[in-house]
Amino acid sequence: MATTTAAVTLSSDLMQDTLSVSTETTLMKAGTTADGLDQVRMGYNKVPTGTSFDLLDATAAGADKASKVLISNDTTDETYYITIVIDAKEIGRLYAGDWMFIPWNQDDATHDLEVTAFGGTNTISWWCWHEGETLPTSAD
Amino acid sequence: MATTCSVTVTSDILAGFGSVTKSMTLTKAGTTNDITETTGYSRRKLASASKVDLITMANELVEPLDNTAGKLYIKNVGNSQGVIDKSVGVKVLINSVEVGVLHGGDWLMMPVTVVDGEDIEVQPATDDVVILEYAMYYEEG
Repeated sequence: MATTTAAVTLSSDLMQDTLSVSTETTLMKAGTTADGLDQVRMGYNKVPTGTSFDLLDATAAGADKASKVLISNDTTDETYYITIVIDAKEIGRLYAGDWMFIPWNQDDATHDLEVTAFGGTNTISWWCWHEGETLPTSAD
Repeated sequence: MATTCSVTVTSDILAGFGSVTKSMTLTKAGTTNDITETTGYSRRKLASASKVDLITMANELVEPLDNTAGKLYIKNVGNSQGVIDKSVGVKVLINSVEVGVLHGGDWLMMPVTVVDGEDIEVQPATDDVVILEYAMYYEEG
C-alpha cells in the first residue's frame, strides 16, 4: 500500500495560554481503512492577474473520492494574493506565504478548483494526492 | 502575538518525492502584521447525518472583516471514545457548496472569506457520534 501522511502543527499565543496542536493523518482512499491514496499530480505555476484559471479540473471519475490538495502561494510581496474558488464559490484568499490543505470532493464536473491572482503575478506550488484517475484517450 | 502553522506531507507514491513542508505565519491581509482574532479552539459533537452550521459568520462576537486573510482549521477526531473510523467522514461545506470530506483523523487548513452567510457547514455521513475540533483566525471588522 502506498503511504502518504499529512502532519500539521498549529501554534498561537492570541489567547492567554498558548495553543499548540500537532496531529498527523494517513491519507486513505474513500471508504477504506487499509488502502492509501496512490496517485499524485503536482505543479509550480506563475499566475498572471486578470484571468481565472482551472488549477484542478473536476472529473466524473473523481466524484466522491478522497482527493487531498495542498496549495502554497510562494509569492513574496505580502500585498499579492490568489482567490480559491470551488464550483463558483470563493473559499478564501491565499496571501503571499500562505498555504492551504483541504480534502477536495469532485462533487460534479463543475467542481473545478480555480485560482485568480491579484496584485501582480503570483507564484504557486501545488500537489493533489488522489485516486481513481485514468488518463484520457488521445484524440489524434 | 503570532499564530503559525506548518504542514509536512510525506509520501512514497512517487519514488524520490520524499516530502514537502510549508510553513506560514497568519497575518492580516496585505500586511506582515499578525492576525489578531480567533474563535478559540472549539469542539463540536455531532450525532446526526443532518447538515448544520459549524461556524455562523454573522454570529461571531467579534465581527470579522470580510474578504481578508481568515483561516480555518478543522479536525475530525472520531467519536472521542477511541474510535477514529477512516472509512466514514464529515462533509465540509461553505454555504452549501461542498469542499470535501474529512474522514476519521483527517484535518484541513483553509482560507475563508468570513462574509456573513458564507457559513461553515458540516454534515456527517451517518448518525454515529463524531467530534470535530476547530479554530478560526480572522481580522476584526
